[in-house]
Amino acid sequence: MSFLPDLLGQALNGLAYGALLFLLSVGLTLIFGMLDIVNLAHGSFYMLGAYAGLATLAVTGNFWLAALAAPIAVGLIGALVERGLLRPLYRRSPLDQVLLTFGLIYLFEDLIKWGWGGRIRSISPPPVFSGRVQLGGLTFPTYRLFVIGFGLLVALLLWLLIERTRLGAVIRAGVYDAEMTEALGIDVGRVFTLVFGFGAALGGLSGVIAGPIQSAYPSMGVSVLIPALVVVVVGGLGSLKGSLVGSLIIGQAETFGKAWLPGVSMLIIYAVMAIVVLARPQGLFGRPLR
Amino acid sequence: MTQQTRRAFLRAAVIGGGAAVGVTSGPWVLRARAQGGPVKIGLVLPYSGVYAELGNSITQAMELVFARENWTVAGRKIEIIKEDDEMAVPTGVRKTEKLIDSDKVDILTGPVHSGILMAMRDKVHNSKTILIVSNAGADAISRTRCSKWIFRTSFSNWQPCQPMGGWVAKNLTKEVFQIAPNYQAGKDDMEAFRETFHPAGGKVLGEEYPKLGETDYAPYLTKIKQSGAKAVFAFFSGTDAVNFVKQYDDFGLKASIKLTAPGFLTEPDVLPAQGKTALGIITGHFYTPQLDNPVNQRFVKEFVEKYKGKMPDGFACQGYDTAEVIVRALKAVNGNTQDKDKLVAAIAATEFDSPRGRFRFDPKTQNVIQPFIYIREVRELPGIGLTNVPIDKVADVRDPGTGCTLPA
Amino acid sequence: MLGVAVLLLALLAFPLAFGRYPVRLLQEILIWGIYAMSLDLLMGYAGMVSFGHSAFFGVGGYVAALALTSPAGVIGGPVGALLLPVSAAALAALVIGFFSTRVRGVYFIMLTLAFSQMLFAYAFQASWLGAEDGINGVPRPALLGAPLGDGYGFHVYVVAVVAAAALFLGRVVRSPFGHVLVGIHENEARMEAVGYPVRRYKLLAFVLGGTVAGLAGSLYAQLSGSITPDALFWKTSGEGLLMVILGGTGTLGGAVLGAAAFILLQSLVSTYTDRWMLILGGIFVLFVLLAPGGIVGALRGRLGLRA
Repeated sequence: MSFLPDLLGQALNGLAYGALLFLLSVGLTLIFGMLDIVNLAHGSFYMLGAYAGLATLAVTGNFWLAALAAPIAVGLIGALVERGLLRPLYRRSPLDQVLLTFGLIYLFEDLIKWGWGGRIRSISPPPVFSGRVQLGGLTFPTYRLFVIGFGLLVALLLWLLIERTRLGAVIRAGVYDAEMTEALGIDVGRVFTLVFGFGAALGGLSGVIAGPIQSAYPSMGVSVLIPALVVVVVGGLGSLKGSLVGSLIIGQAETFGKAWLPGVSMLIIYAVMAIVVLARPQGLFGRPLR
Repeated sequence: MTQQTRRAFLRAAVIGGGAAVGVTSGPWVLRARAQGGPVKIGLVLPYSGVYAELGNSITQAMELVFARENWTVAGRKIEIIKEDDEMAVPTGVRKTEKLIDSDKVDILTGPVHSGILMAMRDKVHNSKTILIVSNAGADAISRTRCSKWIFRTSFSNWQPCQPMGGWVAKNLTKEVFQIAPNYQAGKDDMEAFRETFHPAGGKVLGEEYPKLGETDYAPYLTKIKQSGAKAVFAFFSGTDAVNFVKQYDDFGLKASIKLTAPGFLTEPDVLPAQGKTALGIITGHFYTPQLDNPVNQRFVKEFVEKYKGKMPDGFACQGYDTAEVIVRALKAVNGNTQDKDKLVAAIAATEFDSPRGRFRFDPKTQNVIQPFIYIREVRELPGIGLTNVPIDKVADVRDPGTGCTLPA
Repeated sequence: MLGVAVLLLALLAFPLAFGRYPVRLLQEILIWGIYAMSLDLLMGYAGMVSFGHSAFFGVGGYVAALALTSPAGVIGGPVGALLLPVSAAALAALVIGFFSTRVRGVYFIMLTLAFSQMLFAYAFQASWLGAEDGINGVPRPALLGAPLGDGYGFHVYVVAVVAAAALFLGRVVRSPFGHVLVGIHENEARMEAVGYPVRRYKLLAFVLGGTVAGLAGSLYAQLSGSITPDALFWKTSGEGLLMVILGGTGTLGGAVLGAAAFILLQSLVSTYTDRWMLILGGIFVLFVLLAPGGIVGALRGRLGLRA
C-alpha cells in the first residue's frame, strides 16, 4: 500500500513549495494592499535578495548572516525606488506606476548580469539544515522542513506586526484614509516609503531563502513573477491571510498537477488565474472591488 | 490630427528617420568589400545571459586557432565579426541577416540555440551562405532539413544519447527512469537512448517531462523514487541542470539511484554551481579535457595558458574544430572564397586530428562523425577539482541522417 | 495629406538608396510599428493596458505560417497571407476580449496576461505547431499570380499593407467611435450614466486592436520566414508597451517611432555593448518619469507646439 506514503510525500513537497510561494508573494500583496501599486519589479527584489545573500555568503561564509543581510539590503533599495521613482508618479495614473516597475525589471536584471555575469550560482544551505530525514519510507531534505517552519513563522510575525502593534495600526490607517492620517500629524509619505521598503525586504528575504533550492541567476526574477501574481490574485490583493492560504493552495495544486496531470501542468496556473479573476476578482480574502 | 501636430509629427518622422538611416547605414556603408580583402567569418552566438559561457568558450577556442595562424590564411587576413543573438530567435534571425546581407561574411558559424538554427536555415540555404554549425544540436539539420551549404562540427542531439542506452543496459542496470524538459529536443533525446536500450534488454519504468525552466523538481523526484528504477537517464542543460542535480542529491536519490545523461548535464558551465552533488554522475560526450591524446594535451595547455587558467570544455573543442575546418579548407582552395562550390567541397573533405580524436564529416549528412562518445564519470581530481573523467568509450558514432538527401 | 504622400514616397524609395539589411530593419520597424499602434489604440485612447497583446500577434503569425506552408500552397496568396490570419486574430480578440472587458485596471492586466500565456504554453508543446521551434520555411505569398520573393515587390507589399492599417487606425481614432473611447478613458462612469454601452465599445476597441496586431504578426511571419512561440510570450506584450510609451501614448504615430527606437536600440546597441538591456530599461524608466508624452511629446514641446 504505497499510495499513502506517496500521497504524503507529494503533500509535503506541496507544503514546502507553498511556503516558498508565501514568502515570495506576501511582500507583493502587502505593497498592493497598502499602496495600491502592483509592483512588477517584485521578482527583481527576489533576485536581488538572492544575490545579496550570495555576496554575503562569499564574504562571511555564514548563511544566517546572508539571510539577515539580504532583506536589509533589498529593503533599502526598495525604499530608494519608492522615494525617488514612484513618489513623483502618485499624482498620475496608477498604470504609470505599473509601467515604471516593468521598466525596472530590465534595469535590475542587467545590473546583476553586469556585476556577477550571467552564469548560474549556487547558494549552499546552512550546515545545520544540509541533511536529510527519513519519515517512514520517505527521504526529505531538512532544508525544506526549515522552509516550511520559517514560512509559518514569518506569517505569524507579520500578523502580529500588522494587527497588534502601533506601527501596524499607523500603516492600516494610512492606507484606509491617507488625508485623515496626515491630518493627525503622521507623515504618510514616510509610512509609504517604509511599507514599500518592507515589502521589498520580504521579497529579498524570499530570494535568499529560496537560494539553496533554486540557485541564483539573473533572470530568476522574471520566472517567479507570474506564480507570485497568481498567488496574490487567488488569495486577494492586499490580504496577508489570502497570501498564506493562496500559496498553500497553489503549492499543492502545482505539485499534484506535476505529479498527476503532467501534460497540462504548464497551463494550470494560468487557467486558475483566469478563473479567479473572472469569477471572484477580489480573490478569497481580498477587499471587494471598489 | 490638427495641422500643427501633423507638421510636428512629420518633422519628427523626418528627423527620426534621418537619424535612423544615418545610424543604420553608417557602419555598413563604410565596410569595403573586395577579393583579396580579409576573409570574413561571422559568429552568431549568445554573449549575454546564462548561455554566454558557451558563446565565450566557442569563441575563445576559435581565436586560439586563428592566433596560432597569425590571423592569416592563404595570404588573406582573417576577420571575425561577433553578433550577440541573446538566445532569442527574432534577434538571432535579424543578426544572421545582418551578417549575410550587410557584412557579407564568407563563412557563418554558430548558433548555440537550436531554435535560432532552425529559423536561420532557409535564409542560409537560399542565399548559398556556408554555415558551419558550432553548437546547436537540432537533429533535423542532419536529417530532413539538411543542406549542401550547412556543416556541423559540434554534435547532433542524437549522438551522445543513442550509444548510452546500450552501455547503461550492459554496465549499470536494465531498469531506467527517463526525465527531460518538456520540449521536442528532450523527447527526441529520450527516444535516441531507447534505440539501443530496448534491444539490450532494457526496460523504461517511467518517463516524465517537467516544464523547461522548472525550479522545483520535488514531485518528479518523488515519482522516480517510487518507480523502483535503478538508474535515471536525464537530459537537462543550463539552469535546469544545476537545479535538478542539486535537488536529486537533496532528496537522497544520488546515493541509491545512478544518474546518467548526455554530457551537458555536467559540463563546466554548470559543474561549479553543482559542486559535490554532481560526483558520480555518468555522462556521454565526445570530449573531456582529461583525454590523453597528444592533440588534446597541447590544446588544453595552450588554452589554459592563453585564458589564464580556464580549462577548455566540449564547447571549446567545438570552436577549435570549427576554426580548424575553416583554416584547412581555405588553405586547400588557396583563399578563393568566390568559388563557393569548391570551398564547400574542400570543407567536406577536411580531415584532421582534433582534441576529440580523428575529425571528419559524414558525407551523408555533413555532420561530424564522432570518433568516440566517451562515457565519463564526475570525479574530483587532486589539483584539478571536479571534472568529467573518461571511463569507457563507444567508437564511430554517426547520425543516421534519416530523410537527408544531399546535395540539396 | 501631402505629408503622408511624401512619407510614403520616402518609404518606397528607401531600397533604392540602401542595402538589404537596412531595408529589412525598416520593414521590421514598420511591422512592429503597427503592432504598437494597435496597442496604442487600446492604451492611449481607450485606456486599457493590455499585457496580452502578443496573443493576437502570435495568432496572426501562426495562422499565416500554417496557411502559407500548407501542402501545395493550397491556401496561399492574399487569403492565406492576410485574410485568414486577420480573421483568426479578430476571433481570438473577440473571445479573449469578451472575458477581459468584464474587469478593469490591474485585473485586466492580469487576465490578458493569463490568456496570452495559456496560448504560449499550448503552442510551445503542440507538435502540429512545431512545438518549441515553431514553424519554419514560411514562403512569401504569391499575389496576382506572381510570387513576391525577396525583392522590391515584397517591400511595396509591406509598405502598402502597413500604410493601409495605419490609415485605418487613424480613421478609427478620429471617428465618433474614437471620441467615445477617449471619453470612456477619461470618465467611464459618466459615459455609462449618459447611456453609452461602455462594455461594448471597449470590446470593439479590443477586437480592432487585436485584428491589426494579427495583421502585424502575419507580416512578421512572412518577413522572417518563421514564427516561434516567443511571439506569444508575455515579453512580446511587454515590448509593445515599451514601444508605445517610448513613442508617446495616445499619439498613434508615436508608436512607430517607439518601435523604431526599440528595434534600433536592440539591434545596434547590442552590437557595440552587452549592456543594451540596462540602457533600454533606463531610458524607459526615464521616459515614464520625465517624458510621459514619449518621443512625440518631447518633440512637440521642443518645437514649441502644444497638442
